[in-house]
Amino acid sequence: MTNPNAGSAHSSKSLFAKLRSWEAFLTFALILIILVNSTLIPQYFTIANQINLFQLSIEKVIVALVMTFVIINAEIDLSVGSIMGLAACLFGWLFQNGISAEMAIVIVMIAGGLAGALNGYFIAIVGLPSLVVTLATLIGFRGLARVLVEDRGITGFPDWFDALGQQGLIGPVPFSFFAFIVLFIIAFIILHRSAFGRLTYTIGNNREVAEFAGVNTAAVKMKIFISSGLVAAFAGLLYAARVGAVRGDVALGFELDIITLVLLGGVSIFGGSGTMVGTLLALLIVLNLRNGMALMNVTGHIQTGVIGLLLIVSVVLPRLELTRLFNSHNSQGTKQ
Amino acid sequence: METPVLELRDISKNFGMTRALSHMSISLFPGEVHAIVGENGAGKSTMIKIMTGIYPPSSGILQVDGVTTVISGPQMAREKGIVAIYQEPMVFPDLDVAENIFISSTREGFVQNPGKLRHKAKQLLARVGISLDVERIASGLTLAEQQAVEIARALSQDVRVLIMDEPTASLSAHEAAQLRRIATKLAEDGVSVVYISHRLEEVFDIAHRVTVIRDGEHISTRPVSEVTSDGMISEMVGREFESLFEKSPSVAQSEVILEVKDLAVDEIFSGVSFDLHYGEVLCMAGLVGARRTDIALAIFGIHPASSGTITFKGQPLVITSAAQAMKAGIAYVSEDRRKFGLAMPMPIRDNITLATLGEFLSRWGLVNRRKEVEVAEAFRKRLNIRTPDIELPAGMLSGGNQQKVMLAKWLNMKPDLLIFDEPTRGVDVGAKAEVHDLIREFVAAGGAAIVISSDLPEVLAMGDRILVMREGTQMGILSHEEASQENIMALATGQASAKEVA
Repeated sequence: MTNPNAGSAHSSKSLFAKLRSWEAFLTFALILIILVNSTLIPQYFTIANQINLFQLSIEKVIVALVMTFVIINAEIDLSVGSIMGLAACLFGWLFQNGISAEMAIVIVMIAGGLAGALNGYFIAIVGLPSLVVTLATLIGFRGLARVLVEDRGITGFPDWFDALGQQGLIGPVPFSFFAFIVLFIIAFIILHRSAFGRLTYTIGNNREVAEFAGVNTAAVKMKIFISSGLVAAFAGLLYAARVGAVRGDVALGFELDIITLVLLGGVSIFGGSGTMVGTLLALLIVLNLRNGMALMNVTGHIQTGVIGLLLIVSVVLPRLELTRLFNSHNSQGTKQ
Repeated sequence: METPVLELRDISKNFGMTRALSHMSISLFPGEVHAIVGENGAGKSTMIKIMTGIYPPSSGILQVDGVTTVISGPQMAREKGIVAIYQEPMVFPDLDVAENIFISSTREGFVQNPGKLRHKAKQLLARVGISLDVERIASGLTLAEQQAVEIARALSQDVRVLIMDEPTASLSAHEAAQLRRIATKLAEDGVSVVYISHRLEEVFDIAHRVTVIRDGEHISTRPVSEVTSDGMISEMVGREFESLFEKSPSVAQSEVILEVKDLAVDEIFSGVSFDLHYGEVLCMAGLVGARRTDIALAIFGIHPASSGTITFKGQPLVITSAAQAMKAGIAYVSEDRRKFGLAMPMPIRDNITLATLGEFLSRWGLVNRRKEVEVAEAFRKRLNIRTPDIELPAGMLSGGNQQKVMLAKWLNMKPDLLIFDEPTRGVDVGAKAEVHDLIREFVAAGGAAIVISSDLPEVLAMGDRILVMREGTQMGILSHEEASQENIMALATGQASAKEVA
């Protein structure tokens, strides 16, 4: 295939290089969605709506931060939804059995860490595939949650606990929003600036290379899964506070929404690449898109369909981009 | 004049700003072995990828049998009978040998007959000259065996142009000789064989014509009878070259840094005993399967020894992990860059600092990127790593430069003992000399090195002493004065014992 135009490729390269960044694409999509929303929907830009759109999905959004680490590390954690459910139910059960809410929170967080450690043990130390391990614990933890609470809800938590989830902490902005901001900053710094983040990427790309460089890769994986359990438990508590009640089906199926967010953010399902900003942009897109559709009275099923379509696009587009990159940029020796 | 089976005319190829090939012309005739030589990054791989339809050329034309043809992809190249086998064998790890050989063959029909397939696979392997159980799963094969499977696969398709990109890089000497015989035989059968190798003696052994390329440009094409080794090397590097494989004087001191006694890993190797002095280079020679790498992995703690003792710097050491070996001052540069050496998609900088990340931490465990850049840039200069930017993925570099990045990673640890596994596999002549010089510099500065190599000239040029292994058994240690290609081979193949050759 002779291509006489190929010589001009470098003249457009700088623009091309800017456009090819997935984050740039997401930013563009986000701006588009915000523009459409604000043009079509008068109440979109009200503070109440902006808080609402965040608050309704805050638990998933928080867990997506730690899921970004899990997937960059070339693993998956399907059990986060069940850990969230278990955390909420354990809290309710403890509270019902006369343990103070404060004490219950501590116990729930410990349980979350232990649940993550259980995943981590089988994945990092025994060496089983995370897909299988967390599929098993997805079922197991959910079962435990249902055993604790059965099918009746538990309510009547202390006022301060409910208020934490339902009322503004500073002005109308709730506690969960601040928690998210703090967690995002911590996650960003760890992933992009710390040695731990560097090792997360390296192991995700090639665990053997890290092993041969003396890295304790099992310890890194263990820490990631423990964090995943802790953050999921925290998110489960936030859910209990926001809704003011818990049931055995709390956060059922959330893991798929969370993984969708992360993949949409440009994290490769094969591990080794992706950014925290990508995840942030993806969750802003999904939140604003859902909110816009809800305000325009689009039914939930169609909303879900649109998000699904978005995910397909997000998987296909970078692939096309990569093919192009590979053909025009690459020299010998790159992994094919 | 005969029509060339494949001809490149005035082919250029750009990758963005870089020009990988510039007005390259080359003709391949049936029945010839055409060697193409050039340093890594000279454009050999790009040329192969254009011939096999992986890259479209930016300009210029390709002719097959004198007819201008657009080769739109690997599938079409295969239909035209153009097949390439690469230095890193491409086999499907979970399929068996026979299935791997016929992986792209549609001629066997939709429903394959396993018995017939195996029978045919055996015949093809017999042509390659290797006996291999065709029902073995490919992941258990050695590199050399995988290579043989790949050649058999090429033979299963009607090859007219067989491009062999460093086929012998991972083979031991007698397997390489066997492969050269196959190449010669294929040429006699009328196949046009393109042979790319960094082992110049191979080129003289089998090539009819030699093309030298440098920096993406065609330098010369001559019958092999008109070419001299020195002339070829100076054309490749573009400057005069001192003799490569002269042994430098030893700088070995009397003090022992490492003493290994009766080291063994169950069912892998046993009875390995040697000592190593400061300033000394100990080469480990042997054929594929001699278990040299396993000794290195035992000393480096990846697969800890099951018995025997290691005394390092006067202290008895039980090494059970790589981290522990590194702490003691031992570094191991793997033979397999792709699997164990480099995180290919990650920046060169990240790869260089991986083993010593702890040094680059500022407060609170954050990575000091400025310091990283400084160190990586310093290594780029010191080791002459050819790249426009240290932020590029390591996978974009040529083999020799990837090797230097691995070396940089370990030199930054400032090890006392450097174990270098096949330091110049798939590395061009220029970079090879550079790597040798770096190893010499390292031992001259007071370190000690173990160099595992299947390249006999390299073993003779580098080794103050040479330890020969055969199938997990230590056959003997030769001093540099005693060693010759012949007696190393005699030990490695088990035709002689140490007493007989010494």
